[in-house]
Amino acid sequence: MQRARGAALGSMLRGAVLRHVRISCPQHMAAGARRLFSSSSEEAAHAHGTYLNKNEVVDRVLNVVKTFPKVDPSKVTPSSSFQKDLGLDSLDTVEVVMAFEDEFALEIPDSEADKIASCADAIEYIASHPQAK
Amino acid sequence: MAAVGAARGAPAASEVLNLFRSFLKETRKFADYNIREYIKRRTGESFRESRDLDAAAAASAFEFGKKQLEVVRRQSVVYSLYAPRVKNIMELKFQES
Repeated sequence: MQRARGAALGSMLRGAVLRHVRISCPQHMAAGARRLFSSSSEEAAHAHGTYLNKNEVVDRVLNVVKTFPKVDPSKVTPSSSFQKDLGLDSLDTVEVVMAFEDEFALEIPDSEADKIASCADAIEYIASHPQAK
Repeated sequence: MAAVGAARGAPAASEVLNLFRSFLKETRKFADYNIREYIKRRTGESFRESRDLDAAAAASAFEFGKKQLEVVRRQSVVYSLYAPRVKNIMELKFQES
């Protein structure tokens, strides 16, 4: 009984507040929200064993590389090579590849990890692996 | 074991990178942010310090590294028994405002 009254009071209060408060939503936020919802419904539509959208893979791979401490974010392009263009050493390359594993929740075997030497290699590997999330 | 390694000469670059990768994979198992970051940092520093060793020194460093990896493996078990109940504040992701 008391709980029902509390709930009714709660919804009344919410109604009253919502009538008076308007939250402004900037254009880019609205776009972000739309993208968020559309991608989640897409994901739900084919939940397992599917390939990620190539553009999404490119975005997320570049983000991971850009946030790597030793990388100058302005130099990162989808074709940059870790060692030649971004000035990383072979140990850094291992770390970047591990960061991809974390980002996409997938495990890259040693033999494959050794072959990933550029953003393009990473994008291709991840886009062709359905386990990537 | 160490003598065998030294006799074989410097380890191949791919072997070293695989050892480095094994360290980082083991590091992920530590629940405590501070320990995890420390081991990651320490691993990177040691591997970079050993960058320009000659063949014999590289071989013994490699053997030492393999032993240290076992130490990390054992410690990950020990630390898992005393895992912190809450996350470190450095691990929390804040919304960008």
